[in-house]
Amino acid sequence: MNEARFEELEHTADIAIRVRGSALGELFANAAYGMACQLADVEEIEISIEREITLRADDVEMLLVDWLGELLYLGEREDAVFVEFEMMTVTHHELRALARGGRIAEHQAHIKAVTFSQMNVREIDGVYETPIVFDV
Amino acid sequence: MTGKQDFQRVDRFTWELPKDHREDMRVPVRLYADSELFDAAFGDRTVEQLINTSTLPGIMKYAMALPDMHQGYGFPIGGVAGIDAESGVISPGGVGYDINCGVRLLASNLDWEEVEPHAEDLMNALYESCPSGLGGDGRVRVDKRQLDKLLSDGASWALDQGLARRDDVEHTEELGSLTGADPRQVSPRAKERGLSQVGSLGSGNHFLELDIVRDIYNADAADAFGLRAGQVVVQIHCGSRGFGHQVCDDYVKSLQGAVKKYDISLPNRQLVCAPIDSPEGQDYYGAMACAVNYAFVNRQVLAMGAREAFERILAGKVHDFDLRQIYDVAHNIAKFETHQVNGERKELCVHRKGATRCFPPGHEAVPAAYRDVGQPVLVPGSMGTASYVLVGQEKAMELTFGSSCHGAGRTMSRTAARKKVWGHDLREQLEAEGIAVRASSMKGLAEEAPLAYKDVSRVVESVHGLGIAKKVARLEPLGVIKG
Repeated sequence: MNEARFEELEHTADIAIRVRGSALGELFANAAYGMACQLADVEEIEISIEREITLRADDVEMLLVDWLGELLYLGEREDAVFVEFEMMTVTHHELRALARGGRIAEHQAHIKAVTFSQMNVREIDGVYETPIVFDV
Repeated sequence: MTGKQDFQRVDRFTWELPKDHREDMRVPVRLYADSELFDAAFGDRTVEQLINTSTLPGIMKYAMALPDMHQGYGFPIGGVAGIDAESGVISPGGVGYDINCGVRLLASNLDWEEVEPHAEDLMNALYESCPSGLGGDGRVRVDKRQLDKLLSDGASWALDQGLARRDDVEHTEELGSLTGADPRQVSPRAKERGLSQVGSLGSGNHFLELDIVRDIYNADAADAFGLRAGQVVVQIHCGSRGFGHQVCDDYVKSLQGAVKKYDISLPNRQLVCAPIDSPEGQDYYGAMACAVNYAFVNRQVLAMGAREAFERILAGKVHDFDLRQIYDVAHNIAKFETHQVNGERKELCVHRKGATRCFPPGHEAVPAAYRDVGQPVLVPGSMGTASYVLVGQEKAMELTFGSSCHGAGRTMSRTAARKKVWGHDLREQLEAEGIAVRASSMKGLAEEAPLAYKDVSRVVESVHGLGIAKKVARLEPLGVIKG
């Protein structure tokens, strides 16, 4: 299932993934899931927390960086990883979503931040995709 | 695609890509490396990222990378840019998320033979005294008012709080306090993240290491620094934790507007920047300086933790358990310095991303005790391998705006390292070599395996050969606490 939602790319120092989605909402959900898979063994997570997230940004890349950054921040604060995402609205400038997750026994990695490096959200034949580089 | 053939070899350790290679380059690109490390630079996006760096408004002389260079985001790691403070830009992409990630070296007066019988207890005590891992709380919790003071004053705040000695402060780059720090430019979220993490290692490649001084190459500098063969020393490598990450994150986003407002053309968004003299540029500098000060205090508090651990385990058992600070250097920073450019003294905003300041003998910013020999430059190796202490040379002022390498530099991705190495196997292997390991995550341990890094000795030989810094001492690890 993981491979279908994202793929890992080689990066010398940091973590990079490529995500795809048939709509922006799916792209954003897959990006968040791909990030969660770097942080923890997602199969082990029991859902115990739900947070509503509302964001606005100047463009779609900023919105994606904000969305993933928000999940990292909430995760650090709640000592949790978010693995399920209900995307209610995702446009190039606005996002409203529910993120659900739970506490984890052991973190696999720490992501300091989501970077703009290589990020370029493109739509090709109805499929949205972008690489994402995380600073670790 | 830029290739090796596009570079001209200037001398044994210098490779130059002319300014006309790409239309938007403002200065040539220079790689400082021996031929093997030069070849390695073409294995990832290092060169492309350095070419992008050379397009920044106000960049002087060259966009440079030191021999530990590798792909980052925005600037490559190992990248240095001196930017005209009057007409140029400041870029959070040239500093990175872990603002003032750096290294501190503490020296004991003990030989390994005296410590060895207590090594296991000492490693456990160091592990307990120096919180590591993710998100984890630090040794000191501050309230909002104290945090603002810490951010403004850095190490002198720690001195006032009884968390530092005067010697520690004097033996820290910028005396542990970068001027111009403005807590008003820091977001509430960054401050919230900063309250609980003062005195914590964090994760990733951060560590605290117990080392032995194995070789001395330069007796005069070693004497001045107080280093001798056989001595036990402690290295601390960490940065500004969630506070610095948040400052960078905030400004990478908010300065996107400044790029449009000031009509700056950038080949990569992560190089986001603002004119140094613009309100946006000043705000970023004020916030970044806060994160620089946070990191100095963070390493200071961890140093006090290491002292406590030494005292707890060794008091009454050895003749002297004290740890004296040799030096503390930043390797992710932007700061104002005066350098010679085309025969003129010019104020530059020097961006060092994965690079260390490296000032020569006689420079006023070098602590008085070291001024005759030059600034100590600390170069940690990868986990379980040697580290080096170097000393800054005049040539660095001429070639690299007073900068040197910061470590070994990665050569293999984390995923590739995990495929080749198991954390548990690596721990067994290191322990078989006599290196005690304490780690919060086995996966994290595997990612930092020595095979994922360049050979630090090769990197050091390049800067020594180039003449920007000279070898003083080689340290070998006895115990590693991995963040």
